[in-house]
Amino acid sequence: MVEPSYPADAHDFASDAEELERIDSAATEAPKGAVVVSAIAVAALLVGWLLLYFWIFIPRGTVG
Amino acid sequence: MALSERAILKSEVRWAIVVGSVVALILGAILFAAIAMHMNPPSNQEYADPKTLHLSPEFTEANLGTTVQPNGQIVARMIATQFEFVPNCILLPADRDVTLRITSPDVIHGLLITGTNVNTMVVPGYISQVHTRLTKTGDLLMPCHEYCGLGHSQMLATVRVVPPDQFRPDAQGRAACGNRG
Repeated sequence: MVEPSYPADAHDFASDAEELERIDSAATEAPKGAVVVSAIAVAALLVGWLLLYFWIFIPRGTVG
Repeated sequence: MALSERAILKSEVRWAIVVGSVVALILGAILFAAIAMHMNPPSNQEYADPKTLHLSPEFTEANLGTTVQPNGQIVARMIATQFEFVPNCILLPADRDVTLRITSPDVIHGLLITGTNVNTMVVPGYISQVHTRLTKTGDLLMPCHEYCGLGHSQMLATVRVVPPDQFRPDAQGRAACGNRG
C-alpha cells in the first residue's frame, strides 16, 4: 500500500473550521439558486406555450 | 449547515407539485379545446381506390369543388395530384361549418390552409376529411406540404373565403371561384 504524499505546505481544509463553514454555506445556498433558475426556465416555457396556444392556435379556428 | 435530507425531500416534493400542475394545466387547456371547442386532430377512415378515382361517384371531375348538400352541409371535394390540386381554387363561406374531403390518385401529398389550423396528409387510397370554420375572408394559400416530386414547390391552390352573404351557390348547390375555379 502506498501512502499518499502531500506537499508540506498543503492546506488542511478538513480541519479548517472557517473553510468548512464556507463549504456548508455554499451547499445551503447553491440549491436555492438552482431552484430559482429552474423556476424561471419552467415559467418561461409555460408562458411561451400558453401564448402560442391562446394567441395563435385557438384564434386560427376550429378543426376536427 | 448543508441542506438536510428532509429539506431536500421537501424541495423535491414541491417541484413535483409544480411540474404536475404545469402538466395538468396544459392537458386541461387541450381537453377544454377538444371538448368545448371541438378542436381535434382530423381523423377519418375512409377508403377510395386510387386507380378508379376518376370513375368514383364522389371524386369524378364534375363533382369536385364546393357543393352545398341538400341538408345544408357545405362540402369541398378536391383531388391532390402531381403537381396540382383539382380544382386549384375553392370557394368557401366565412363563419359557416365546412367539410373538406381530399384524396390522391398517385403519391402522398399534404395540405394546409395558411393562417388556419387546417392541416392534413393526403394519402392515396384514403379520403382525408377536415371539418373547419374559416373566420378570415380573402384568398388563403393552400400549398402541398409533403414532398411529392420535382414539381412539389409549384403545387399550391387558393381557398377563397367570402362573407356568407356573398356565397351564392347555383341551383345545383355548386359554388366555384369563377374564372379561376
